[in-house]
Order: sequence, then structure tokens, then C-alpha cells
Amino acid sequence: MILVWIALIPIIGGIVVWPAGRLHPLAPRVISLAILFVDLLLTLKLIEAGGSGAWLASFYAPWVPSLGIGFRFNMDGLSWILVVLTQILGIIAVIVSWSDIKDRVGFYHANLLWSLAGSIGVFIALDLFLFFFFWELMLVPMVFVIAIWGNENRRRAAIKFFLFTQGSGLLMLVAILALVFLHQQQGGILTFNDAALLATQPTGPFGILAMLGFFLAFLVKLPAFPVHSWLPDTHTEAPTAGSVILASIMLKTAGYGLLRFAVPLFLDAAHHIAPLAMWLGVISIFYGAILAYGQADLKKLIAYSSISHMGFVLVGIYAFNAIAWQGVVILMVAHGVSTGALFIAVGAIQKRLHTRDLAQLGGVWTDLPRLSSFGTFFVLASMGLPGLGNFVGEFLILRGTYAVAPLVAVFASIGLIPAALYSLIAIQRAFHGEATVPRRVSDFGARDVSVMMALALGIIVIGVYPQPLLNIGAPALGNLVPAKQVSALPQKGRGG
Amino acid sequence: MIGLVSLIQPVAPLFVMTLATGSALAAIAMRRSFLITVLICLVGLIGALLALPWMAHSAAVAPMFADGALSVGFAGVILLTSILILVIAASYWRDATAEPREEYPLLLLVGTIGAVTVALGINFIPLFIGLETLTLAMIGMIAYPRWRPEALEAALKYLVLSGMSSALLLLGLGLVDLATGHLSLAAVQHASGTAMLLLPALGLIIVGAGFKLSVVPFHIWVPDVYAGAPAPSAAFLATIPKIAVIAVVARLLFADATIPPTLGLAMTIAGVASMLVGNLLALLQQNLKRILGYSSIAQLGYVLVALLAAGALGRSALLFFVAMYSVTVIGAFGVLSALSVAESDRDQDRVGDIRGLFWRHPLIAGILTLALLSLAGIPPALGFMAKMYVMAAGVHSHLRVLIATMVVSSVIGLFYYLRVIIAMTQAPDSADAHAEGRLSLPGNAAIGLIGAVILGFGIMPQPLLSLLKAVFHS
Repeated sequence: MILVWIALIPIIGGIVVWPAGRLHPLAPRVISLAILFVDLLLTLKLIEAGGSGAWLASFYAPWVPSLGIGFRFNMDGLSWILVVLTQILGIIAVIVSWSDIKDRVGFYHANLLWSLAGSIGVFIALDLFLFFFFWELMLVPMVFVIAIWGNENRRRAAIKFFLFTQGSGLLMLVAILALVFLHQQQGGILTFNDAALLATQPTGPFGILAMLGFFLAFLVKLPAFPVHSWLPDTHTEAPTAGSVILASIMLKTAGYGLLRFAVPLFLDAAHHIAPLAMWLGVISIFYGAILAYGQADLKKLIAYSSISHMGFVLVGIYAFNAIAWQGVVILMVAHGVSTGALFIAVGAIQKRLHTRDLAQLGGVWTDLPRLSSFGTFFVLASMGLPGLGNFVGEFLILRGTYAVAPLVAVFASIGLIPAALYSLIAIQRAFHGEATVPRRVSDFGARDVSVMMALALGIIVIGVYPQPLLNIGAPALGNLVPAKQVSALPQKGRGG
Repeated sequence: MIGLVSLIQPVAPLFVMTLATGSALAAIAMRRSFLITVLICLVGLIGALLALPWMAHSAAVAPMFADGALSVGFAGVILLTSILILVIAASYWRDATAEPREEYPLLLLVGTIGAVTVALGINFIPLFIGLETLTLAMIGMIAYPRWRPEALEAALKYLVLSGMSSALLLLGLGLVDLATGHLSLAAVQHASGTAMLLLPALGLIIVGAGFKLSVVPFHIWVPDVYAGAPAPSAAFLATIPKIAVIAVVARLLFADATIPPTLGLAMTIAGVASMLVGNLLALLQQNLKRILGYSSIAQLGYVLVALLAAGALGRSALLFFVAMYSVTVIGAFGVLSALSVAESDRDQDRVGDIRGLFWRHPLIAGILTLALLSLAGIPPALGFMAKMYVMAAGVHSHLRVLIATMVVSSVIGLFYYLRVIIAMTQAPDSADAHAEGRLSLPGNAAIGLIGAVILGFGIMPQPLLSLLKAVFHS
């Protein structure tokens, strides 16, 4: 039941804060914060409670029994980590919006909470239909956030974001339905229960086609080359908190979906496609990095760097081994924290200097030393500086990949060089040098510093002592693919 | 006395509504009162709805009418839809003091009689008479605000085109009679393929049905007529005749295990074309009624998918989808009528008119958003479940081309639904301010109810599924 509340509390919260905005602009902010804290506490308690086997908690209630659809919530370590990430970054998104968002405060926070609720639902739903329901549900509020509180071209960006993600989602729906009916034909019952469908394991062309439905939907959301083009546009137009949620949380739903559904449900097809997926990952690493290097807009630079980092996630997932998957989890969390922080920093720069253009920046360190030092820290983190979280993730992914596909690992590692290039260039052009115009602006205040401090601490802890996170994730990752299916699988089609 | 009851019982709903029509006419003749007329019509519709179960249990069978669960269920959906439209129409017309408006609810009632006749008829004679009653009433409803040139134009367009389609349909019926000597649907079904005249007859009948369903290529009139008609009439036009014709087609297709291949091919082509054309042409429209008109063409394409996906799953999918479609379309047109004033020279039906609606009337805007999300098939609205159901039926029956088209056209469709939703959140154009109607309590209640249904059954579809099952399979 507690899982239902974790998903439900933000939804109810959204209904409460919308009208609350009429009373006082402060009310929605405070209520949203309180709601997310309560939600976070509920989730944190689950890890103490333990639970049976790999599952920390589970819940089932019939929803549409005539179609075999149920409210099937389950949480294991993987879900837990991502839900906590969602809640913490949700809290930060509310704090960041504190002075950013001035109009329609109630509706804004309602949408924020609803999109968070959708993401949380995605992470804990283990009925394929329920998963899809939440998958779609998180989009509309996000579209509102972009379309109402975004920058100049917000409408175009919102529609583009929606079309890409929704369109690919429909392919996934068809694939889900095909899988469900195949399961029924094989003598099973009509059900959308993930645990039951895991036994279906379609093979041959059907397996490949159905798997591609899932794969494409997640590839778009991840995003990976060549279906990434919505991301830079959307980030450029989204408000800061929107960018944070988009980059730190929503992109993770794709990585999660690949790990939880696209791979385990279609093991055979996933092995067939693994080389392609890994090379797509490598291409994304290079493509994202090279385009990031060429950007004049700081926010676009970070957006393209996300594509590059998500390339590592793609490579790691299709390496099919425990080490790489551990790395994927770590990298997703670390990327969520570091990129979220970077978007906050860029948002702060834009708000103070009214530009994100690297040509007009420069010398920011002189005027905004606190902002610049945090900015530099997180750029270094995202670059993969040893001792910080992203490094651990990337290292584990490369280590795991090298065992099965050395060539892919080598090329992916080379991808770290352009990453260092665009990172250092960004630091140098934005923060160092001479200011082109004299600026009189205020630096980070106490609120901003504490947010950034918390995020920085998170990155350092993950970087120096990732073991707790690995321990929480390990049983879940071992549980993703049922051992029976793995042993039945011929050793073929591995990447590289 | 017993004889009279057994005579009335098999056609009880029609009898009740005819009685109400006479009473309403008499009331108007004695004293013009909008409220009384609306109440009489409302009582007639509700009475007809209540008479449905009584009719279904009738021992006697009327010669030309069906009493199967499917027909009765569809008649129920038609009556419920009519009741909702009547409430919305009553609140739309309440301010028009200078012009007589009592005939509008009367026309709505007469149209509903026609639609129920079609839904229940198993012989071509009641089918044709019902269809014509429906059409003539609708022409009156479209042209009712005669101070609007667009309304007159739309009515004329509809009159000419529907007259033509009726003539073709009649010719088809004549050929059927010539070929088989029967005018009952069953006779045609069992004679299929034997007589040479039946093929052209079937073709002509398809043209007539296609016009009422407004599937491509019989859709040309839709956007113009919807845009010109006052909002409640457009709601009527978009739902009632379509449900009635779907009822007949469903009865024909579901009776047999297999669909004849030629008919299947024709329906597939019409379905694919409707989905694509409807969604593509809606992209560039600036008028909400036109957008909804094109959208309804696309939605009928989805209905064809459900019809072609025979079997239990297709049947449930069809019923669920039709229920969703009527509720949603009335919700969307209902919001437009709530915002519009009958007296003015046009409805509040441009995308520019609803700019900023989210900040003026958050609840109304929320309901319109829900309705549009429902048409687009996005959770948590009811349409998501319905579309998923249709897709499931299609995937189950291996309708690959139709499902592929459905995915592609849905993505196209998202664009214009989203454009309207986003427009509601934008700042209003001050230059193009237009008289917005005052919202009335009954109208608001009706729209609110529809919003609650779309959201409630969207999240919890099982009660609706069970209800449909109970009604249609009893």
C-alpha cells in the first residue's frame, strides 16, 4: 500500500496546490516541498523495512480485470534508487523555482508534481499497461511546464518534445499488445503482468519487431543518436526546473525501461541487437561530445553532453553483465545530479546576465565567484573526473563492456577525450578570461549555495564511496533477468 | 387493453417519444415557453430510456424492429447522448429572447426518434424512414439561428448532399428488393453473392451509410457543416447519426462470423483513408468546430478498425470506443456552446477565442483539455483506454495495415490537439475580443458531469466495461 501512496501523494498534492496558488503565491511552494519531503521519507523507510527477496515492497489490486490489467506496483533496489533520485531532484526543482517562477504559481507546481508522480509511477509499475499509463502521464504536465513558463520558442519546443516521445510511445504500446497476445496464444492467460510475460520470451522476427517497439521508445527518450533531435531544442526553451526534471529524471526513465523491460522481456532479440545498440551508444558518445564542443549556447552544450553521457548508458546496458549494469545505475544517478546542477547554474547565469552565449560570457568568475566555482565543479564531475560520481559509473561501464566487447570499450573510452575538450572549453570561455562588459549582479545566495552544496556532496559521496549504492542495486540487477532464461540462451550475438 | 399493451411494448421508446413530440407541439401551440418545451422533451427522452428495458423483455416482437441486446444497447447510448445534448442546448439557447426557440428542443427530439428507429430497425423500411426523419430534423437544427449566414449555408449544403445520398441509398434498396424480393436485412445477408444486382445495391447502400458516418471519401461536407452549425447542433450531428448507423453495421457484421472480403477491403480502405485524411486536414485549421469535424472523421476510422476486428474483443472495443466518442465529442462541443451565445453572429469557435481560457475559466478549460486528450488518446482521459482497446482488438486480429496507420495518424493528430490545448494557456488576443457567454448552472453541470466521466472512467474503466457488458450482452 505504501507504494500506492508514494505515487499518489504527488498527484493529490498537485490537485491541492493548484487552487492554493490563489490564496498566496508562497502556499504552493511550501505545500509542494512538504509533499515531496513526506514522499521521500516514505520511500526512505522502505529500505529499512527490507522486504522479501529482491523486492522491497509490492502491491497488487485489480484494475481492469477483464483485460488482465492490474495495479501492480513493485519496488526493488533499482526502482528505489531512481525514485529517491526523482524525489530529491523534485525538491530541488521546487527550490530552484522559488524566485524563478512568478506567475501562475499554483498551476506550475501542480504540473511539476504531476510529472514527478508520472516518473515515480514509471519506476515502480510492473504491469506493462500501468507502466505505459504512467509513461504517457508524465508527458502532458511537462509539456505545460515548457509551453507556459519556457523561453521565446516554447510552443514549438513543447510540441516537438511531445510528438517525439508520444509517437515512439505508441510503437511501444503496439509492441506491448503484441507481446500480451502472444503470451495468451502460448497457453497463458490474458495479462499485462511483467512477471508472467517474462516467461514468454518471443524469438525470431516477431521477437525482434516487438523488441524494437520498446527499444525505439526508450531510444527516443534516452535520447540516443539518431532520434535525439528533440532534446537540445526542448532544453533551450524549458525553464530551469523543467530542464532539471527533464535531464535528471525523465531521461532516466528510458535507461530504466531498457533495463527493466526491453532487455529482460526479449532476451534473444536483445542479444541480437546488442552490437547495433552498443555501436549506436558509441556514436552517441562521439556525436554528443562533438556537437557540444561546437555550441555557443551554454545550455545547448549541456544538452548535447547529456546525449554523450547517455551513450555510455546504452553501451553499458547492452554489455549484459553485472559490472556494466552497476555502472549504468551509478552513471544515471550521477548524471542526474551533475546535469541537474549544471542546468541550475546556467539558469542562474541567464537570470543574472540575460545571456547564455559563450561569446558574451567570460570573466564570470570575477563577478560571480560562488556560482562559477560550483559550475566548474559540476562541469568537471560531468567530464568524469576521478573521485566524483560520474567517473565511477563510466569506469564500471567500460570495465564491464571490455569483458564482452573490447572494441566497443576502446572506442567508448576514446570518447572521453572530446568530453574533456568541450568541458574545459566551456569552463574557460564561460568563467575565465576578461568580462566583455562590466556587470553588477549578485552572486549565489544562501538558498542557492545550500542546494548546490547538497548536490556536490552527493556527487562526492557517490564518487568516493559508491558501495552502499552498489549494494542496494545489486540484488535488483541480479533479479532483472530470470536465471532460467539466461541459461537457456545460446552464447551468441554479443557486442563487438 | 392487453392487446394495446402488447402492441406498444415492442416499440415502447418510440411510442413514448412520439407522445412527447405531440405534447410539445400542443404546448407550443397553446403558449410559447422554452422551459416547458425543454422539460417535455427531456421527460420524453428519459421516459424512452426507461422504456428500453421494458421493451427488451417484451414477449411480442414488432415485425420490423429488433429487440436484441446490441440494438437496445445502442438505442440507450443514443438516448443518453441526446439527453446530454438537450441540456447543453437548453443552456445555449436560454438568452435568445427576440427569436422563438421552442422548436429547437422539439427538432432534437424528433431527430432522436429517427435515430432510435434506425438503431432498432431490421427492415429497410424503418431504416430509411428513421434516417430521413433524422436528417430532416438535423437540417432544421443546423439552420435554426437564421441570423447567421453560415448556418443557412451549412444547412443548405447538408440538405443537398444528404438528399443525394438518400436518393442513392433508396436506389440501392430498390435494387435489393428487385434482386431478392425482400426488404429485411437478414434476407440481404443470406442472399449475399447470389444475385448480380446485389453488388451494385451493396455499393449504393455503402455510399449512403458512408455519408452518415462521414468516412472518407464521403466526408467533404463535414468541416463546412460543422463549422456553420450552432455548437449543440454540431454535437448532435457528430454523434447521433453516427451511433445509429454504427448500430446497424455492427448488427450486420457481428451476426456473421466472417466479413465478406470485398466489404472488408472497402472498409479497410475507408478506415485507412479516414484516419489519415481526418488527422492531416485538421492540422492547419483555425476553427475549433472544423478541427473537431476532421477529428471525428479520424475517430470514425478507428471505429472501422474495431468493426473489422471481429470477435469478442472487437465487439467490446467497439462499444467502449463508441461510448467514449460520444461522451468526449459532446464534452468538446458542450464547452464551445457554454462559451457561446446563440444570439451573436458566430460561436466562440476560433482557436483565438479560447486563448487564455485556462486563466479565465480554469475548470471549463480543464474539461476541454480532458476532452481533447481523450480524442488524442492520452491518459488519464477515457480515450486512452478506448484507443488502447481498439488497438488491442486490431493487433489481436492481425490488422497490420490499419494498426500501422492508426499509430502514424495518431502521432499526426497529437499536433493539432496539443496546439489547441497550448492555445488555452497563452495570453488572449486583446484585439479580437468577442462576446463570451455567461455560464449557466445546468449547462455547467452537464459539462462537469462529462468531465468527471472522462476522467473517472479513464482512471477506472472497469465499471464502464462491466456496464457495457451488462447492457449489450443481456
